[in-house]
Amino acid sequence: MISFDFDYLTPTTMQEAAELFQRLDQEGKSPYYYSGGTELITLGRLNMAYSEAVIDLKNIPECHAHGLSGDFLVQGSALSLTAAEVANFFPFLTSVASQVADHTARGKITIGGNICAAIFYREAVLPYLLVDSTVIIAGNKGITAKKMSDAFKEKIQLKKGEFLVQLLTERKWLNAPFIHIKRRQQWQTGYPLITIAALQAEDGLRVGLSGLCPFPFRSAAVEAALNKKEFNREEKIREALKAMPSPILDDVEGSKEYRLFALRNLLEEILNWQEGGFKLENT
Amino acid sequence: MRTVGKSVIRKEAWDKVSGTARYTHDFQFTELLYAKMVTSPFGHAKIISIDTSEAKKMPGVRGVLTGEGLPLIGEAIKDRPPLAFGKVRYHGEPVVIVVADTPALAKKAADKVKIQYEQLPVVNSPAQAFQKGAPLVHEQLGKYKKDEDSYPVPGTNIATHLKIRKGDLTNFWKDVEFTVEGRYSFNPSDHVAMETRCSIAEITREGRILITTSSQAPFMAKRLISQYFNEPEGNIEVHTPLVGGAYGGKASVQLEVLAYLSSKAVGGRPVKLWNSREEDMITSPCHIGLDAKIKFGADRNGKIRAAEILFLWDGGAYSDKAIDLTRAGATDCTGPYGIENVWCDSFCMYTNHPYPAPFRGFSHSELSFAIERTMNLLAEKLKMDPLELRRINAIRPGDLTPTQVKLNKSNVGDLPACITKLKELIKWEEGEVVPVNDRIVKVKGISCSWKTSTIDTNAPSGAILTFNRDGTINLMSGVIEIGTGTKTVLAQILAERLKMDVNHIYVRMEVDTQTTPEHWKTVASRGTFMGGKAVLEAADDVIRQLKDIAACVLRAPIEDLEVADSRVFLRDDPEQGVHFKEICYGYTYPNGNAIGGQIIGRGNYILRGLTHLDPENGKGKPGPEWTVTAHGVEVEFDRKDLTYKLLRAVSVIDIGKVLNEKAAKGQVMGAMSMGLAFAGRETFVMDELGRILNPQLRTYRPLRYGEQPEYMVDFIETPQLDAPYGARGVGEHGLLGMPAALANALSKAIGVPIYHLPLTPELLWRTREGLLR
Repeated sequence: MISFDFDYLTPTTMQEAAELFQRLDQEGKSPYYYSGGTELITLGRLNMAYSEAVIDLKNIPECHAHGLSGDFLVQGSALSLTAAEVANFFPFLTSVASQVADHTARGKITIGGNICAAIFYREAVLPYLLVDSTVIIAGNKGITAKKMSDAFKEKIQLKKGEFLVQLLTERKWLNAPFIHIKRRQQWQTGYPLITIAALQAEDGLRVGLSGLCPFPFRSAAVEAALNKKEFNREEKIREALKAMPSPILDDVEGSKEYRLFALRNLLEEILNWQEGGFKLENT
Repeated sequence: MRTVGKSVIRKEAWDKVSGTARYTHDFQFTELLYAKMVTSPFGHAKIISIDTSEAKKMPGVRGVLTGEGLPLIGEAIKDRPPLAFGKVRYHGEPVVIVVADTPALAKKAADKVKIQYEQLPVVNSPAQAFQKGAPLVHEQLGKYKKDEDSYPVPGTNIATHLKIRKGDLTNFWKDVEFTVEGRYSFNPSDHVAMETRCSIAEITREGRILITTSSQAPFMAKRLISQYFNEPEGNIEVHTPLVGGAYGGKASVQLEVLAYLSSKAVGGRPVKLWNSREEDMITSPCHIGLDAKIKFGADRNGKIRAAEILFLWDGGAYSDKAIDLTRAGATDCTGPYGIENVWCDSFCMYTNHPYPAPFRGFSHSELSFAIERTMNLLAEKLKMDPLELRRINAIRPGDLTPTQVKLNKSNVGDLPACITKLKELIKWEEGEVVPVNDRIVKVKGISCSWKTSTIDTNAPSGAILTFNRDGTINLMSGVIEIGTGTKTVLAQILAERLKMDVNHIYVRMEVDTQTTPEHWKTVASRGTFMGGKAVLEAADDVIRQLKDIAACVLRAPIEDLEVADSRVFLRDDPEQGVHFKEICYGYTYPNGNAIGGQIIGRGNYILRGLTHLDPENGKGKPGPEWTVTAHGVEVEFDRKDLTYKLLRAVSVIDIGKVLNEKAAKGQVMGAMSMGLAFAGRETFVMDELGRILNPQLRTYRPLRYGEQPEYMVDFIETPQLDAPYGARGVGEHGLLGMPAALANALSKAIGVPIYHLPLTPELLWRTREGLLR
């Protein structure tokens, strides 16, 4: 149960939303951009999220865009993970998104909400990070476009009052070979012990991880190690492991040492997939 | 058999599947107030101060309660303040209750309560609690009131100590040529019933205490509240509607007391106390943990000659039901094996963990994990087939149990028959390990178990039957419908005895302690046995009354009469008879004269021949019969990353007699599912301060759909001669051997013995690499 009361606001334009945020912030109402609502509910009942004014972005048409336009796939931030899965424009995203939370929750969780989440797995960002999609951000000063590699450093870099509107992904990436493996503490339910996502680009393998560190990431150093032609498999893995950022998580899902054991195996799986001609067996 | 054995659909099925069935929390009314607990964030800490002033000031807050001045409570030892006083002894312990007009306000006000703590050294495992010089959880242990059967040791963390001393104690290891030994442990966990616990209490102007509660033990709640607070029993009325899963967790009496105290604090107004999921997991009683040490000695033929067993049960902060759990563990300590020399010490240890309720199987799946792993260690040492080892040692009629009950054909099932059936179902002849490719193997593990129900020696059950004017019957029993379908099985038993259509029997689902005859507690797989015995007696009572009146109407001697199809008729001329509806409210002659009158059937049952256990050697009769089981699990194991998939799980249970086939199979499968989740994933993760780090379903995960194996359930039928139609208890037994069978499979898979739960890939990796923490 959520014990705090809040106003619920439904702007219909990006500008209106941004203005509302600014005004409510000045009034000290701790405004909160809202889309699927799953975090407000689950963290709100634990007093880990608080707001007196919730701004629902779902009535803004741009946040609902979904389709191919010119060279791009355009996806609104308020699309539910299920909607993205069903339309399946971007199979890599479908693969990652379909493993987030559970079926009921995915009908509510949105792409934007997952990428901007307080809970740090944010797995939906992985495909966009690897293909370096363009991110459309709205705020008080209008709209800006950024590459995901600039907009996302451990978490989405938004200034106060800004929100995610759309993700633009170049068409050429939509059918690039990818692999995605979510390893959990046990069986098929739960947060990732480690989620690894990889994509084969012309310039080599790209790899993103969630659940290894308290943030999802793509690392140039890790990719360099895995792509180094002079290295054999064992060297690639050894150097990639050395290049991993810190801290490595040590929590209820698994210890640091065990995560590193699992990571080594996952990197091997990625290389197997690459050597085996990108045959998709296990996602 | 007309009805018994048939898969009759449970009588509350449509209400449940359509979502209209009402549980305790579904009852709302305007004058209801809402309580919210403030709980301890630490495992062990001194309470320095409690500041409730801000909460009290909030409009709509009707009362704020603290532990000061409340009596100590608890079932076996009165060691528990209803709200913590002086210090907190576990993470999640209730310290303050706020009562307010709405749930949201109660929560808001609870957030305003400020409590200052000073942390104390934490007792974080039963083994640590057992060490000399361990911090004490209860300094005043010697001063607590207790019942006769509890043996606390003041100045230690020992809440009770049960001893089993059987056989030749001076030449204990005499015939032994091989010994094996193992030390086992697992943390407490939870039941995770779908319905979190809820209680509503009200005290009327006449002083009547009305309680509605999601409980397996409303009659016990009545008795305990009477006892704890010196209230006349007749003043207390406890209602229990349908219960949304219990698994033993709702046999403990906790929220009822807190709701009663809350109501008292607000002038008797009705107050609802409803657990959040987190509270249900750690504030209310949990599933017990265990540290165990087992040593078996066998001769060269594989016959086990001696067993030395140490159980350190994780009694948590308060002993409550843990005393009984410790006793149950001792009584069946060897598993289902005939062993001459047995030495068992079963200790209930106080720790700074949430305290345990019963858990489906009542200590038996827990002890079976330790015993059955040791059985496999022995099989390896003897280079013997583990199933064959179990067959050789299977306890049989003529053998003595650890508490020296002599077994016969009726009071124990046929374990060798279960083993034979298991062998066939799990395709044992394929071998324990079957490679699929260079990385994947299929591995099988097996186990056996047994269980008797160590309930109060004088536990009663009663049944009342009344008629409707159309000749149909209402069945009232104190058995709670906790999801097991037992009330439908009772209707089947009644229908069978009266040879009538089960659809003409109406079962009262709700229990209230004022008008429903008592059924001790709906626990221990005793609902069908004891409730069924009472129903049979009530049926005979009704038959006698029906025949009495029909004899007048039909002008025939009673011995010529027969009852079937809702009629009483002449045996030699069935057309000559009367329908129940003509006589169940008296028979009226054409001129208006009436005879007989309303027929009310009554029946009761009390367990017979049970005794307390001798404190020096454990000798005594703890329960009426032993159900025996054999289990198998097959997994697909990845030798590289040590992950695995559950492929098949098998349970063969000597059920005595199948009363309702689908209901019985459903019970067994449900129990197996719980057992696999307990084995493979469910555990409380604790930090060094005794805090539970995963008290939420997002981090504490029962088995989810899609993760389950194929379930195979089969039954052996060796009747228990004094039970209704020969049926034995079956509500818990599918669970008993699951943790052990899975652990045996995975030990085989990694080639290193496993001694701990849960069996996550990380535990397998740590075990294989020698990195156990």
